[in-house]
Order: sequence, then C-alpha cells, then structure tokens
Amino acid sequence: MQKKHVNKKNIITILVIFVLMPATLVVSWYFGNRKYYLSSVLIMIYAMIPFFAGFERRRPEARDIVTLAVMSAIAAASRVAFMPLPHFKPLVGITMISGMAFGPQAGFLTGAISGLVSNFVFGQGPWTPWQMFAYGIAGFIGAWFFRIGIFNVNRRFRTAIISFLVVLCIIGPILDTCAVFTMAGEIDMKILPTIYMSGVPVNAVHGIATALTLFFLGEPMMEKLDRIKVKYGMMDTEVKNEVR
Amino acid sequence: MFFIHPAFLVVSLGFAITFHITIKGSESLKFLGGLLTFACLLAVLNPLINSRGERILFTYLGGRPYTMEALLYGFAISIMFVAVIIWFSTYNQIMTSDKFLYIFGRIAPSGSTVLTMTLRFVPNYRNKIIQLSNSRSAIGLGISGKKKQKVENALMIISSLITWAFEGGIVTADSMKSRGHGTGARTSFALYSFDVRDKTLLVLIIVLEIITLTCGIMGAAETEYTPKLYIQSMNSGCFVAGITAYILLLAIPTILNLMEEIKWRISRSRI
Repeated sequence: MQKKHVNKKNIITILVIFVLMPATLVVSWYFGNRKYYLSSVLIMIYAMIPFFAGFERRRPEARDIVTLAVMSAIAAASRVAFMPLPHFKPLVGITMISGMAFGPQAGFLTGAISGLVSNFVFGQGPWTPWQMFAYGIAGFIGAWFFRIGIFNVNRRFRTAIISFLVVLCIIGPILDTCAVFTMAGEIDMKILPTIYMSGVPVNAVHGIATALTLFFLGEPMMEKLDRIKVKYGMMDTEVKNEVR
Repeated sequence: MFFIHPAFLVVSLGFAITFHITIKGSESLKFLGGLLTFACLLAVLNPLINSRGERILFTYLGGRPYTMEALLYGFAISIMFVAVIIWFSTYNQIMTSDKFLYIFGRIAPSGSTVLTMTLRFVPNYRNKIIQLSNSRSAIGLGISGKKKQKVENALMIISSLITWAFEGGIVTADSMKSRGHGTGARTSFALYSFDVRDKTLLVLIIVLEIITLTCGIMGAAETEYTPKLYIQSMNSGCFVAGITAYILLLAIPTILNLMEEIKWRISRSRI
C-alpha cells in the first residue's frame, strides 16, 4: 500500500531532484562567470520544495497549521526576549525543540518559515533561501536525533553539547557557504578555508546560544508541548501514519 | 545579477537607483549614500584578498602586490553587490506580504496559511514578551547585572509565552475549523485581475529577458578582470543587442512609476 502512494505522491519531489536540479546546473555551466550566484540560490529553493509539498499533500488540519505557525512565530519573535544579550539567537534551539516535539517535517517547516518571516523584518535577499534551508535542517536534525535517542531531554548536558556541535559543524557552515557563493566573485579554493575559519567564532556563539536554549528550555518545553498534544490530540496524523 | 561587464553594471546600478528614488523619494538618498560608501570600501579592500593581476600599484607587507586588476574587479563586484541590495530593497517595498500570499495561496494553500498566521503572530508575541518582561521586573524579577540571570530570565519569559501562545492558538484553530476552514477554495483579501495590460507587459519582459540571456550566453558581456584585464568590445553587434534589451528591461519599473506620477499630476491639476 505504501509503495503505490510513493509513485503518485512523490512525483513533484522526483521532478525537482531529477529534472530541475540538473537543468539548472547545465544552464549555469554554460553561463559566464557569475553562474554560482543564481544557481546556488535556485538549488536551495529546490531543496526545500519536497518538504513543503509533503506538507500540502497531508491536507493538514487547522490545528496542525496553527501549531506550526505558533512555533515559527515563537522562534522568530524569541530574539526580542534576548534584547539585553546581543548575538544571542535562540531561533535554532527553539526550532530543534519543535522538531523534537512534532517530528521531522514540522521541524523543517518551523525553521524554514521562521527564517523567511524574520527576514520580512531584517530584509529579504539572496541569503533568505539559504537561511530557510539551514534553519529547516536544524529542525530536521533535532527531530531525527530525538527519534534515535541522541537528543534526550533527561540528559541535558549531552543534548546541549551535541546541539552545539551540530550548529558549529553543519548549520554554521551552510550559512558560510552562502557567503562564499554570494559575496565572492569566483570560487577560489585558496580562500575557502579563510572564509570558513572566520565563520567559526560567530558559529560558536550561535552554537552556545542553541545549547543554552536546549539546556534550560528543552525539558520544560517538551513537557508543555507533550501536555498540549495529549490535551488537544494534535499532530496525530503524522505519528499514526508512521506507525502504520 | 551575473554580468560583470562594466556597461551592464552601470546600467543595473543606475536603474536600481532611479527606481528606488521614484519609490521612496528623498528618503532613499541617505540609504543610497551609505550603501555606496560601503561599496567603495569593499572595492578598495578586495586587492588585499586577491593579489592576482598584472599592473602592480604598490606592494605592502614585504612584497604582497596590490594590483590594478584586482581593484577594478573589486569595484565591479561591489557595484553588483550594491545593485542587488538596492533591487531587493525595492522588491521589499513592492512585494508586500499580502501579494506574496496571493501568489502562493493557490499553489500551496496550507503553507501560505502558516506563513500568514506566523506573520501576524510575530508582532503579537513581541508585545507579549515586552508585557511579560515588564511584569517580571515589577515583581522584582527583572534583569539584573549577571549574564546567567539574564539568560535564565529570558528563557523563563519564552517558556511562559509558549503556554499562553498555544492555549490561544488552539482557540484560534477551533474557531477556524468551525467556520469551515479547509472546506472550499481559498480566497484573498485583495483582488488582482490579470488583464490585457499585464499580459502585454509580461510578454515584453519575457522577450527582453530572452534576448538578454541569449546575448549573455553568446558572450556579449564577457569580461575577465584577474589575472588579465579583458573587456568585450562595445562595438560588437551581440553586445549592442544585449545591452539595449537589458536597458529596456531594467527601465520598465522606473518608466511605469514615472508615468503613474505624471498621470496623477495631470489629473490633479485638472481639478
């Protein structure tokens, strides 16, 4: 039964990965010196399509929609609470918690939407798809690590340290790659280490913020979200589908 | 966005600036001034990273060359960067979030609903966070000097925000459901009709874009800065066709805005 659905349902995903992505790469190959700029942004957008298409296909209930909107808005608005502490960005931490509570798809969408929405305030640009993708991946990883037991709300130190490493080694470098493609004119292999190295301190601060958010908020927030899930029976469809 | 030929860059920057001025008026001059200063700084700094080039202007730090080509390349890159920022700034002015939703409401109804709600919730939650922190400081739990306490305080605020937000969100969701959310097709607040004017303009834009891109692929804007300066000559037919199409394409928004303005002046003076 599962297989029959795959053929029909994933047609958008298959089209994107096997037709659009190579087409963009081929076109950009023939296109002069500034090819990385646009093609990298386009590839980022393609990478997000499967997640959004999957969400549309599920025909989500009003409650699921509102839950996602609430989580994304909290992630985007949370910076205000940290006004006294500049550079402290809890967005990734809260996205991870959302992924842990509501599953990988919801985690990805929380990250992507809060990235998009916070840029309506800070200004859109070619970096928007990159940020959306990076934050989305953070939510996805949060959910995945939680499923396989690497993230555990009862082991706060381990969770915090691993989340720090995730930001330092995965999320930060994705955002730095955006700088490579959009700022530098041509890709010079020699300056790549310089760009990634100069990103390390910023990513470390970002990682510490994420780790602290998970350390202090992880357990109480999960408890609250679980309580709400039980109280109102939300986001059930995803869990049920997977059990089936 | 990817032409580094000087003529193309000047055209792009010029029309980005004029369009920005037609939208924002005198307010934009301050923005543009700051941005152009930043661009010059970026251009001058480029040769420090990139030392390739033939004509050496001077050397520093024991023989590292500062080359003419790298400086020109720096200017090209920073002009392009600034032009992109200005175009995006005008994009932010024109494409307000309701227009964005009008486009995506049909293709992705659920996703765009999430986006609309999030956009509404963010300012709402901001105010709530400020309320929460005010009331905390009123009972003596406000922000004090230590960093640890600041972090804990902020996290406490977020924690209470979540409880409040979810309880409110569930009420909203149930209300949406009982009013029939998801039963029919989505409708929008603003209605935009796609008439003959729009079709003509769309066709024009697509034709001009195709001409520009074909000329671009055929090498109209071929330019190398480092290590050896090479600029496609301005006399080749390919270049002329490409740049003409490019100028017309980028002039469209400015012309439209100016025509609106002139029409408005005329009809107002008749009153």
